[in-house]
Amino acid sequence: MNNFAKAVGVGFVSLGLWSSTALAQDSWWKTAAQPYQGATIRGISESTPASKYVEQVLGPKFTEETGIKVEFEATSWDQMYDKAIKDMEANTGIYDFVYIEQDIVYTYLARNFLVDITKSLADNAKIASPDFKPENFTTFLNYFKDPKSGNVMGVPMEAFIKPYLYRKDLFEDPAIQKAYKDATGADLKPATTHEEYTQIAKFFTEYGADKELWGTTVQASSSHPAAFYEFFESVAPTFGVYNWGIDGTTFAATEANGGQMNSAAAKKALNYWVDLLKYAPPESTSSTWDEVAGTFAAGRAAQGLVYGENAAWIATDESKSTVVGKVGVALPPVEAGVMEAAGSGKGYIGYYDGGAFGIPHSSKNKDASLLFLQYIGQASVQTDWALAGSRIVMNSTYDDPKIVEQDQKMNGYYTLMRDDGKLFAGAPPYPFHSQVLQVVAPFIYKAIVGEIKPDDALDQAATAAEAELVKLGYRK
Amino acid sequence: MRQSNIGWLFLAPATLILFVVGFIPFIYILYVGFFDWNTNALDPTLRWAGLQNYRNLVFDTTFLSSLARTLVFAFIVVISELLLGYVLARALMADRLWGRQFFRTIHTLPIVVAPIAVGATWRLLCVPGFGIVPYYLKLWFGIDYNISTNAYHAFGTAIIMDLWHWTPFVTLSLMAGLTALPKEPLEQAQIDGGNKLQIFWYVIVPMLKPVLLTTVFIRLMDALRSVDEIWMLTKGGPAEATRFIGLHIWINVFPKTDYGYGAAMSLLTLYVTIVLSWLLFVAMTGRKGGAQ
Repeated sequence: MNNFAKAVGVGFVSLGLWSSTALAQDSWWKTAAQPYQGATIRGISESTPASKYVEQVLGPKFTEETGIKVEFEATSWDQMYDKAIKDMEANTGIYDFVYIEQDIVYTYLARNFLVDITKSLADNAKIASPDFKPENFTTFLNYFKDPKSGNVMGVPMEAFIKPYLYRKDLFEDPAIQKAYKDATGADLKPATTHEEYTQIAKFFTEYGADKELWGTTVQASSSHPAAFYEFFESVAPTFGVYNWGIDGTTFAATEANGGQMNSAAAKKALNYWVDLLKYAPPESTSSTWDEVAGTFAAGRAAQGLVYGENAAWIATDESKSTVVGKVGVALPPVEAGVMEAAGSGKGYIGYYDGGAFGIPHSSKNKDASLLFLQYIGQASVQTDWALAGSRIVMNSTYDDPKIVEQDQKMNGYYTLMRDDGKLFAGAPPYPFHSQVLQVVAPFIYKAIVGEIKPDDALDQAATAAEAELVKLGYRK
Repeated sequence: MRQSNIGWLFLAPATLILFVVGFIPFIYILYVGFFDWNTNALDPTLRWAGLQNYRNLVFDTTFLSSLARTLVFAFIVVISELLLGYVLARALMADRLWGRQFFRTIHTLPIVVAPIAVGATWRLLCVPGFGIVPYYLKLWFGIDYNISTNAYHAFGTAIIMDLWHWTPFVTLSLMAGLTALPKEPLEQAQIDGGNKLQIFWYVIVPMLKPVLLTTVFIRLMDALRSVDEIWMLTKGGPAEATRFIGLHIWINVFPKTDYGYGAAMSLLTLYVTIVLSWLLFVAMTGRKGGAQ
């Protein structure tokens, strides 16, 4: 009885503390947002699981607490960039916050598109939330800091690695394991080398010939930059070709001038990747990141490199995925020496992707937008957001019991991200990101459809990239 | 004289709007075309380039092949839509056709669909692995149809999509023209013993010429600047198989931010469009210019 009374007492005290804390928080947001009551802020983002959570949950909750209306446009990757960049270039002020992908931030910084969040909050302490602490974020925040001042220019809203997903149910099936052993002489386990990966892909393509099952997914759209990204940011690094094969100081791309874009390692990587198309479903040459996730979720591939933002729904959402409970997670296969280079910080084995929300200089509601960005940057909103979008931007989120539980369902994706995230890296800090991409990508497309051989594709791509860098003034 | 001045007054708002949204941007593009200007370059300012952008165009094989591809596409779709549109217009005007109004409505529906939605829908139909078109082509005819690996499949699908979307416009225009034709010349031609082909070629076509000319002009200009539908369907691929000139210019102006070169491309494309339209006008009217 005493214990019961104590428990009830503790419960009431906790409830009281929680309520007072909640009320205090409510009152801070309300007070800070008072001057902006009735304002509407407009944002644009790529339609990802994490963005949809902002649109459907965080935006309305912020409106409820502050009276500031949030209009949010979640659209395709291409449309997002097209609209956001045009708005910032023309200074029209349509958007008050925009999605900044990790790879585009350097371009935005070079063009002074973004509001300095650290400075703005220091200048206007009334809207600086006590719950917004940049030190709470993972090191992913560093991608959104101005290299010159170290100030925060964007609030991380999603971060994920691109792991190797495989069908655990197939890999652990004794009959399939025996068939694989009989066919190859090797044990069936997640590949750690490219040769093993190809062998597994070949085996499952033959095994699944009458089952709508193929050996691998390949993000090899023959006309979309997704193919460029898959090759240069996910595959080439596993062969030891980093930063797109462009030297970051001389801006050389050709091997003759000191670059790596057409090096022997890069050519080996492209040949390997294009060869995988033989073992991939027919939609692969139309696949961007979305379609690759869809292919894996539909149970059409035994393994593949899949952006981690999709890992949660593929592994746990039965309304969208046919492989719930059957997804295994591992590090991508690499060439000899690459893992060691990544471990020592001299290289990386795949892509650490994600984005932040930043405020364009053209925004007409900068203060209200600053409040919103801080709101989504609180530790208290991170867990449910991570559950919905398999994205983690704060260290504390990893230890939340809900995340630990989901991690088990995802076969350790979050553990892999926390423990081995350091082996992955974001895009190189190139302000000419989009320009070089547009020049190089057509050669990758031509290699995909067999119009030119992979070796020739990289020779021509490297020459074209260098010419573009000369034209842009980076390379003398 | 007084009446003429009032006329100018009525025209003033439209003239002003045209000046602001048409003439000023045109002059600006003309101006930018003489500069080397890329906002992502180390030096993002405008630098005088003279005719260099135009010189580069002559040796830019990607641009020239995009232009050639666009002209082939426009030629095929305009001719096909004209022929198909005429046949459908006559069919939908036939008194004997049961449910004529219903078919007219169904036939007209594609016009009201936004081009971006048309592209997205056709992509869903045609994407390999999931789309019903490749599925049934394989099932019924054994054809491995793949718009993301086969240039002919992609180009052919772009043409069929355009025919589906815009033939109804041609049909409606020709129906309006055919309905307005006077009956007397046709009856006279029949009395004179003309067969159907002769009546069509020597009586109907000359009388229908103003409508035909307008329809062909509109479709030609639309076909030469196809962007949104093609973007949604193939994104210009596979490789560059459907990278029409509109898409090519867009890629250079926006993701590449090569404004000077993009302006030069736009102007050259405009020039080609004007020349083609003039040639068409001469071919169809036998005159080199001037009002009717």
